[in-house]
Amino acid sequence: MRIARYLLHRLAFVLPQLLGIVLVSFFLVKSIPGDPAVLMLGPTATPDAIAGLRTQMGLDQPFYVQFILYVNHLLHGDLGTSWQTTRPVLDDLIQRFPATLELVTFSLILAIAVGMGLGVVSALNPKGWVGKLTDIYGLSAGALPDFWFALVLIFVFYTLAHWAPAPLGRLDIEVIAPAQVTGFMTIDTLLAGDMQAFRSAVSHLILPVLTLGLINAGPIMKMTQSSVEKMLASDAGGYEVLCGIPQNLVARHALRNALPSIVTIISVLYGYLIGGAVLVEIVFSWGGAGQYAVQGVLNSDIYPVLGFVLFSAIFSLIVYILVDLIYVLVDPRISH
Amino acid sequence: MDTLIGAAKPSHSAVSATSADLLRTEDLRVVFPTATGQARTVLRGIDLSVKPGEVLGLVGESGAGKTTLARSILGVPPAPGRIAGGRVIFEGRNILALSEKQLRLLRGRRLAMVVPNPRGELNPTVKIGDQIATMARVHLGLDRKAARDRAFEMLKAVQIPDPERRMNAYPHELSGGMAQRAVIAIALICDPAFVISDDATSGLDVTVQAQILDLMRKLTAEHGSAMLFITRDVGITAHFCDRVAVLYDGEIVEAASRNALFLSPAHPYTLLLLAAFSHNPALRLGWSVTAAAAAPAASDACIYADRCPLAQPICRAEKPPMAELAPGHVVRCHFPVRH
Repeated sequence: MRIARYLLHRLAFVLPQLLGIVLVSFFLVKSIPGDPAVLMLGPTATPDAIAGLRTQMGLDQPFYVQFILYVNHLLHGDLGTSWQTTRPVLDDLIQRFPATLELVTFSLILAIAVGMGLGVVSALNPKGWVGKLTDIYGLSAGALPDFWFALVLIFVFYTLAHWAPAPLGRLDIEVIAPAQVTGFMTIDTLLAGDMQAFRSAVSHLILPVLTLGLINAGPIMKMTQSSVEKMLASDAGGYEVLCGIPQNLVARHALRNALPSIVTIISVLYGYLIGGAVLVEIVFSWGGAGQYAVQGVLNSDIYPVLGFVLFSAIFSLIVYILVDLIYVLVDPRISH
Repeated sequence: MDTLIGAAKPSHSAVSATSADLLRTEDLRVVFPTATGQARTVLRGIDLSVKPGEVLGLVGESGAGKTTLARSILGVPPAPGRIAGGRVIFEGRNILALSEKQLRLLRGRRLAMVVPNPRGELNPTVKIGDQIATMARVHLGLDRKAARDRAFEMLKAVQIPDPERRMNAYPHELSGGMAQRAVIAIALICDPAFVISDDATSGLDVTVQAQILDLMRKLTAEHGSAMLFITRDVGITAHFCDRVAVLYDGEIVEAASRNALFLSPAHPYTLLLLAAFSHNPALRLGWSVTAAAAAPAASDACIYADRCPLAQPICRAEKPPMAELAPGHVVRCHFPVRH
């Protein structure tokens, strides 16, 4: 019950938080130089035509009027229209956001498995070979650009070995995409019962997931290692050793007590990767939301950008609420 | 509690080693590496012995090396300390030569420790009942149910109020006194032969302190456990211990039966310690402690020479050997105080 009340309390703040985020991003996007009317009409447009289009788009209105109009449309479920795709932004994002989410989610699962595994082992035995490996790994994962690593993987596994499919989208060209239910290609193909499409979806996921997963395992590994080490060296960890508790049990308790900080870094990575995976999306022609937003920024197409910010903000808020719930479950000292 | 003089058990030969010892340290040395590269010696060759069922008090001021000694006996000196030499003989075996695995089977099982500040030492995310039961599962091989039953019995034995509820409480939900009782339950659940109490009551107020001391004494007597009772408060040892050793800067300076130590203390430092706790202001002022000297004593000097009100030139030139004043009463001083 305490948790239910806490959730209500948190949800009450979601709308004002979102409004604030929309206001700030609206202001920032509007301050980018560039006139969409000029870009839309092309170099041969007459000044009259440009002025007409500006009036039509409401660009001649004061800033606050434009903002109120935008929020009013938002409340009616209208995120505006992208002049590049000429489609409603909401439709575009419903198609593209799950693509990014699927990529990022699977990458993060890989990163958690690799990062927490190596982190715990190296914390238990910092002088062992795993400890040395993690030092090198942490350093290189932090130093390697993800798009470069993606290109290396493509070169090795597609160009040389022909094990992976061409880095062009989420499915082979000859495979027909299943009807969108969740937007996760792996789940939708399974729901459609199309095993050929499922295999195609998985094979297209492997290289981008390896790229993002292995790069982002670095911070998770570092955080796991340092916080488990800290727990082992803490009074409580030392006391368990004094009591003759076996090492694997001491380690399990240390990992459990280190979980809050590990969960924090995972949640930060999750929110960050929604936009931060864009270079990898471009390399693999993923058609994700990050790519969509970057195109929008480059072409003064503001509604896709604002829509993307709104989607990521909602997603991040959900993740952070989940993280707070995990804290409550993991640490009995936290009670709201 | 016994009166000071009334109930002293016959004293054993204080520091000398005999085969009947349950635990004996021989020339135990611990060093801490420092940033300058020169190791700092924290324990300078400790010789102590405890017989089965005996309570040995160890008194010393902060920084004397009390906790280092307690943990080194269990083979885990506080980081970054390192055992540089000596032996710890427990039940005939040198603990320091055992493998980590063999040592783990002794810790908590035959050799238990009661720690100070228990709310910081208990695992914050595990319920008290489970922490106590874990000891019985790990060391006695009991199943989950039996271990919990035994933990519950232990909580009752340490007289924790409302034990049913405390079984499912987390450490932060306990008061300091209750947490101290829980730690005693952890220490005694496996019937250890030897218990080290490291300043276990230092964080508690005086009434609770007295209750906890009574409890520890009662339970260790019931279990027949011997005890090394480490404290800063020399007054407590008068009520509690069969013998008392005085630790100064990593060295035992005096050891004697309780009565001998309190009635005829021979080392100037022991006298000052007793004077500091005395209710007689004349005694306190007459033996006021000089401030610790900044310069470390030379290795061939008495370690107490710089603070000693009785120091003579020889004290700074020659380290006094441990000398037996009376049977079981040893002191490390060139000029032991005669009474």
